[in-house]
Formats: sequence, C-alpha cells, structure tokens
Amino acid sequence: MTRIDRRDFLKACGTCGLVAGALPGTRLVFGAPNANDHDTLVVVFLRGGMDGLSLISPGASNSERFRYEQARNATRIPLTGEGAGLPLGGDGQWQAHSRAPELQALYNQNRLAVVLGAGMPAPVTRSHFDAQINMEVGLAGQGSGIGWITRALASGALPPNVMIPAVSVGSLTATSLLGSAEAITLSDGGDFRIDTGNWPWNVSPDYAGDAPAGVHGMLSMLPQLWTGGSSLEAAGRQTLEALQVIRGIDFEGYVPAPGASYDDDGFAQQLRMLAQLIKLDVGLRYAAIDLGGWDTHNGQNYMFGEAVSRLSRGLGAFHADLANDTGNYAQRVSTVAMSEFGRRVQENDDQGTDHGYGNVMLALGGSVNGGRTFGEFAGLAGDQMFEGADVMVTTDYRRVLSEALIRRLRNANVYYAFPGYANYSPLGIFQGSDLAPTGFDAVFANGFD
Amino acid sequence: MTAASVSLASRRRLFTALSAAVGNAPAAAMRRAGRPAAPAAVPYVPLASTPPAPVRWLQKATFGYSPQAKAAFDARPGAGDDARWQNWVDWQLSPAAIADAACDARIASGSFLTLDKSLAQLWADHHETGDYAVRMLPAAEAECATTIRAIYSERQLFEVTVDFWHDHFSVFGWDYDGGPLFPDLDRRLRANAFGNFRQMLEQVCQSTTMMYSLDLYASTRAGPNENYARELLELHTLGAEHYFGPTDPLGVPCIDADIHCEDSFPQGYVDNDVYEAAAALTGWTIKDGNWQFPADNDGGFVYRSEWHDRRNKIFLGRYLPPDQPEMRDGRDVFDRLCAHPNTARHVVGKLCRRFVGDNPPASLIESAAALFTAQIGAPDQLAQVLRAILLSDAFKNTWAAKVKRPFNSFAGALRALGGDFTPTTRDYPNQWPTADELAARLQQAGHRLFYWPAPNGYPDRAAAWSSTGAIAMSWKLLTRLTTIRQEVGYSDTYPYVADVVAQTNAAIAAGGRSASAVVGYWCDRILGFRPEPVRGKAVDFLRQNAGADDALDLERNDWHADDLKRHYTQDRLRSTVALILCSPDFLAR
Repeated sequence: MTRIDRRDFLKACGTCGLVAGALPGTRLVFGAPNANDHDTLVVVFLRGGMDGLSLISPGASNSERFRYEQARNATRIPLTGEGAGLPLGGDGQWQAHSRAPELQALYNQNRLAVVLGAGMPAPVTRSHFDAQINMEVGLAGQGSGIGWITRALASGALPPNVMIPAVSVGSLTATSLLGSAEAITLSDGGDFRIDTGNWPWNVSPDYAGDAPAGVHGMLSMLPQLWTGGSSLEAAGRQTLEALQVIRGIDFEGYVPAPGASYDDDGFAQQLRMLAQLIKLDVGLRYAAIDLGGWDTHNGQNYMFGEAVSRLSRGLGAFHADLANDTGNYAQRVSTVAMSEFGRRVQENDDQGTDHGYGNVMLALGGSVNGGRTFGEFAGLAGDQMFEGADVMVTTDYRRVLSEALIRRLRNANVYYAFPGYANYSPLGIFQGSDLAPTGFDAVFANGFD
Repeated sequence: MTAASVSLASRRRLFTALSAAVGNAPAAAMRRAGRPAAPAAVPYVPLASTPPAPVRWLQKATFGYSPQAKAAFDARPGAGDDARWQNWVDWQLSPAAIADAACDARIASGSFLTLDKSLAQLWADHHETGDYAVRMLPAAEAECATTIRAIYSERQLFEVTVDFWHDHFSVFGWDYDGGPLFPDLDRRLRANAFGNFRQMLEQVCQSTTMMYSLDLYASTRAGPNENYARELLELHTLGAEHYFGPTDPLGVPCIDADIHCEDSFPQGYVDNDVYEAAAALTGWTIKDGNWQFPADNDGGFVYRSEWHDRRNKIFLGRYLPPDQPEMRDGRDVFDRLCAHPNTARHVVGKLCRRFVGDNPPASLIESAAALFTAQIGAPDQLAQVLRAILLSDAFKNTWAAKVKRPFNSFAGALRALGGDFTPTTRDYPNQWPTADELAARLQQAGHRLFYWPAPNGYPDRAAAWSSTGAIAMSWKLLTRLTTIRQEVGYSDTYPYVADVVAQTNAAIAAGGRSASAVVGYWCDRILGFRPEPVRGKAVDFLRQNAGADDALDLERNDWHADDLKRHYTQDRLRSTVALILCSPDFLAR
C-alpha cells in the first residue's frame, strides 16, 4: 500500500485546518485503491542500439531461422541447450532471450506484445545520438529543442491542476521531454530534497518543523532569489516547484504489491519509484526512463545478457507491482520499450554486432493486446533487408506511440506530437476506442499559453 | 462530478495543503492555472544582472571566479582590462611557465600511487589483475587529481581545456579494461590540449583506453570493427552534422562545386567512409597478450601488418592505393579528416560553445575555423585557436548564455570559498569519506568526472543542465559545501572544508559584522559583484530581526528562540553563504 509520510501528512492537515476525517475517499492513507481515472504511458528507451534479433530471435518454426543462424554464429540464441531462447507462444515463430523469462511469461499471459520491424523510416542514420534525437523530438527537426512527449502533454487536454504530469527519470531530461515546464526530472525520489545544510536553518525549519516560531529556513528564502525573467530562473522555479511536489512523498516507506520484487539496480529502483507515483495518483501521464548498455560491438553475449536481465526483471517487477495491487493499476499503465536502431544482421568478427536499422518494440500492460506480434518482419534474405544488411523498417515507431496516445491517453493530436507524420492507422496493439488523428493548434489551445 | 473526480479533487486538496504547510511557495502542482506548460526555454533568455567584465571572463575561462583569480588578473601588465585580458590569455596559454607549487604540493599530499606510472606499469599492476579495486585505482586517482587541479591549479585555462578534451574524446573512466590505463589517456590529452589537433587525434587513437572504449584493438582484416571509425568521424572530427547517412558516396556534393572531390572534399561523410576508415585502421591494436602474439603483453600500441586490410580504399573522395607502407592508410585517414574544413568547423564550434555560449556567432566559428585550418601543422594550433576565441568580442560580451555544469559550480564554489579539500581514495572504515560523498553528490547532479557512459561526452548546452534534477542536485551539493568536514563529512572531529565563519571573522572586525557587510563580502568573493535580489535577500536572511547594519555576534552559535538574530548565528551564516551559492547569478556563466 502506498502512503505519504505520516508525520508530514498530519502536519499538513493541522496547519491547514483539515483533519484526516475530512478527507473521505482519499486512498493515500486509507481505503482500498482503484485504478487511476487516466492512463499513464511509460517509455523505456534502450540506449545504445539494442540487438532486437537477440532479444526476440526467430524460433524453430520460423522460416527465417536458417538465415538467422547463417548470420549469427557467436551471438546466436540457440533453440536448445545452454542459453536457449524462451518460446513466445506456441507457434515456434519467435523466442525471447534466455535471460528474459519475465518477458516470456508476460507474453504468454497476453500482457506483452512484440512489434516487428519497428523503427524510424527516415532519415536513416546509424549515429546513436542523431537517431535518438530524431526519434525523441519526433522528427520535428533537432533544433526545436522540444520533445514529442512535451508536445503530447501540451496537447493532451489535461485538467487544469495536475500535480506531476510527467517524469523524466535521471539527472538530465530525456530529449523526448525537453522543453516541458511541467515535467520533473529526478533519478531518486528520496534524494530529491535540499537537506544538506545545517539543522537550525535548513533541516529543522524546512523539514522537521520543530524550529522556534518565526524561523524561516534557507529553503523558504531560496525562491526569492529566483524571481527574474531569464530562462535559468524559469528553470530554477520549475525546480523549486518540483522539490515542493516531491517532498511530501515517503519513498522509503513504499511497499510494492505482493509478488513484485525489484532488484537493487538503478533501472529497477527507478521503475519502483514510478510505480509508487502512479499509485499515489499524482496525475502522471508520461514517464521517460532509460536503460543503457546495448552498444555491443564486441563480446556481445555477456553484456547483452546482463542488460536483458535488467530489462526483463525490471519490467516484470513493475508489471507485477501494478497488476497485483488491489487497484489493478496495470489496466491503465502502458509501457513501451524502444531503441534508436537495431543492429546489423551479420555479426562482426568480435562476437559483436554493429549499428543496423530495424528493430523490435515492446508494449506491456493490462490494456495491451499481448501474446502476439504486430507488424511485418520483412525477412533476412538479401533483397528483404535494408541495403542487404539490416532488418527493414516496416513499422513506423510513431504509429505505435500514436496508438498509445489515441487509445490509451485519449489524445488525438498525434500529428502535433509527431510533426510531418501522416496516414496513421492503428495496428491494434492497445485496447481502446479510436479517435480521428489530428494536429493541434498550439497557439489558441488552452493550457499552452 | 463523478465519484472518482470528487475523490481526485480531495486528494489534490490534500497535496495542496501538504505543500503549503511544509514550504512557503504556493506551488503544489506542476500543472495549474496560469502556469505555462511549455516550452520553458526556447529561445534562451539570459540573466539580467551582469558582473564586471573581468569577472565574466574569469567565470568562463576558469573553473570559477575567486578573489585570488581576480588578483592574478589584476597583476597582469596592461593599461585597462582589455590589455590585461590579452596578457592573461597569453600567460595562461603557456601553462608550463606558470608556477603551480601549491597545487603540486596538494597532489603530492594525496600520496597517489598510480598517476606517474608508465603505461606498461599500469598494465602490469592494474590491468592484469582480477581485483576490481586495484583495477579501478588509476581512474579513481585520476578523478581525485583532476578535482584538485580544477580547484587549485593556477593553470586554470589549461584545466578547463583538458576538461573539454575529456568530453570530446569521452570514455567511461571506470570501464573494466580502460579504467586501469586511464591516466595514460589523461596524459595524452594534457600533452596536446594546447597543441596540434592532428597529433592529438592519433595519440588518442593509440591510447589503450580509447582502443578498448571503441573496440579498435580488435579490428582486423578478417573482422573489421567499425565502432571507433564511426565515432572518429561522427564525434571526433567531422561531426554528425556532416553525416549524409547510408548513401552513395559519389552523391555527396563537393565543397567546391567546380572541383573534383579528390582535389577538394565532399561536404560530409557517408557510411561507406566509415567502413573505409575502419579498414584503413585495421591492424592498429595493442599488445594485450593476444594468442597470436603472446609475448607482446605490455598494453602498448602496436601496428600489425598481418591484421591490416591492404586493399585499395576510397575515403572522403580520395583514393588510397593498395599495399601502402605501414600505418599509411590510417594516417591518410587522419590527415584527410583534419584538413577537412568541416572538421575545423565542428571542433572549433564546440570550443566556441564551451567558452562563449550555446549559439556562438557564425562569424566567430568561421574565422576561428579558418585559423584552425591555416595552422593545421602548427605545434600550437589549438592554442592559437583558443586565443582567437578568448579575445573575440563574442567571448568578451556574452554573459549568462550558459549554465555552469555541476562539476564547474562545485569546483568554482570551493575556489570562491577558499576551501581546503584534498580528495584521495583513502578508506575510513564504517564512515563516509568526504571525497566519496562529494563524488556521489556530483553523480546525483549528473556530472561526476569521467562518468558519462557514451562516447559523445557530457552535454554542453544550457537546456541540458536546466533540468530539475541537475539544478536541485546542484543546490543540494552546493549547500553541503558550507557544512561538510574534511576527511569524513559528518564527523566534527575534522575541520570544515570551507569554514566561512572563521573566514568572515578574520576578514571583518567584530563591530563591523553586520548582515549587510558580511553578505557584501561573500557576494564579492563568490559572484564578483553584488546583484539584486540575491544580495538583499541574503541580507534579510542573515539579519533576521536585526537591522541590516547592526553588528551580529558571530562568535556564538546558540539556541535563542526569543531573539532570532542571536539564534544559531554561525549556522545562519553558513546557510547565508549557501544561499548565495544557490543563486542564479552563481549558476550562470
């Protein structure tokens, strides 16, 4: 059960003339929770170019298995024996990496879907950094400095008051959320507080509340230094607000739902924080979170296995935490995992793979039509591949994200989130009804002034 | 209203109440009426307050302004600030001639074991062991020494420039294979930081740490590995802005429309150039005890013609014949890249972005890039380019176009505070060493030295460091600097890293220690001027119920709930200095 810090909670109520009994219905402290009344989209960016052909490799019945084995020797995911792939479904078409039993289970429970041949149709670039930026700004042009989630958020017809509409997990904001004045970037909720000064003028008045009457801590003075009109001061005010919003939450006291066991690595702990924020119903619509370690030019197997394990165990715990809660939050949380590109089909001579093109995307959640693949896999014969070398992009990554925006976030402005995108149609990855895709008039719309 | 929305509304009320109770600002939601949602920072609006010219210049060309830095500037000969600045730049561009005894002594006091070891020694002692702590000691010590130099070296422009090259040629310092050799890469960057770009490029390529970082050591004729070649073109030389994608190299237009590309240059590169560069550099490897050459095992660079792809190549429109002499293919690639005017633009553009601002004038980039190209073979090519940038009007007149990156604000704060901090790898059983704590706090802020995982280096744009995470965690770090103890941060058996109370009392006589005087003193030391509202608000905080000009008793630090001007006065002074460090005027550069 989630809770905020009880001491702060009681103090808040005392100061404001509220008592706990005057808050019927709040589930922060009492009562059985219910799923939020809005959806949350979590975008996991696998930075470094994840080798989709190792995460999801052709299975025993897949006609591409032969060509896959020809191209992959040292990095091959075998059908049997040590490191054998884990079959997805019963048709023998695709198998998950041996270190991804959680993903296999979610697939076989129809909670996880795999999108084949996913990627960015144009421009084709084998630069990590360009490809990431292009995808995350949504092809609007790298100079805009505005991410696609920023635009989705701004056009999303949210209520006028939302405590935390979006979170970028890390110290630096993901490009997909650049330019948003309402996103909070943080890597660790419990650390996200200025409590490193001395007791009488920082910790006590700002946090403990046992200071003499009239004392103002340095935190209460800090905002008065940041009142000007510069971009830096605007960023500082956003930071002050983020600190305010986060400070009342007891991150250490969070108890995940039964069956949700998060590892100690950063990715899992960050997912744990997101799960807590989702259950607190702070209004979270979007979260961007990274997992690196995928640039496997050399000695791929060990490094890739470790990364897959972090991904699989992290997402497994996250989904269990949301689904096993009595509120069944998984129903209204969708997670999409993507990478900037896949890797070359032909492995190199260093037991590694070089930069390629098409890839898989994963969609996870209670409202995902899981247990199946979406999109076409063009094949691994020479003329079926991009430049005869890479998996062809047959599914525009924007199509996948747009479907999540429309069917789950109820935001039809996908042509605004992804400028230049056209002819959207759903693949059917997500449950929900359709809306006619449209653009958005940023100048005259509410909430974007 | 549905039941759900009622319950939602009450939850929001709860959070509103909560935030209002524990802080002073009314904000309780990141989205609320009247609050702009996006975009926050386009276009970039600089800070209104501007410090005097020498302060601005020193803030941008060093790890941070300090009274000592100002005194060194004032000591330069010349009539007027501009003349002194020119002299300062020339003085700084000859770092070997700058006495640095105090910094050297501080590094010596750290008793570092690995920094002077040869590459072969590093290899034998630290790479060829399974003990992780021993493997990582060289990287850890390099972090300590680099931090000491950033704070204490008189060769500030050199240190700032070395920091730039560490980002330009970024490797993750704690790489399992590269970390044990990290001081060798650092030495190569230091040896060439003000030198010749072409020479630095090859020196870095041959460093064992870079060889591991981008897999060049394993690239052979039988199996070329394109990792290094791609980043060589994309990050180290031409830049991704000159990447034309996986297309026909013959389709890339020439820089000079009327000239064949072989006699000029294609405007940029394509994937084929990456593959050709990779082929050209096959056989450039290290003596790592490879099974074919087990006796060669000292970690040093070696060229193996057996592994080299000897066929002909076409790189950036230039034909490289087959069977060239040893290492000639690779050197042709480096030569071709370094002579390309778009390499000049890319590298010089990054230097301008670091020293001037995020959007330096195109005219400055063009003129400095022309100088870069004209001085292509000069041993002081990079010093000449830096000099042109630092003496430009754009450098002199631009202020607050950037945000100090966390390591910059950290080192700058300790410079301004006269801090006494010698990070070492010394262990304090069951205690949190100050060096570890501050490194961890830098990591929280997103900017621990040599900790960026990707080869593109830490971002160098204001927007990247304007995140709530970077700013909040910078505040948390800077606030800590006025309370943390040496050796072990939370142990009061050690002196303060920066004892601002003792310094204040030494600088200002008892009767003159008013809030106004004390804040003025610290604004001058930290900011080099006294901007509002920072000064006035800091005075209000420090004076409490005293008058701004009433003397405070800074000799005592006691509980006085009935008279706040006497309440924990020394602690209040520490928080006052922290406030100034947490101001926009300190974080701007």
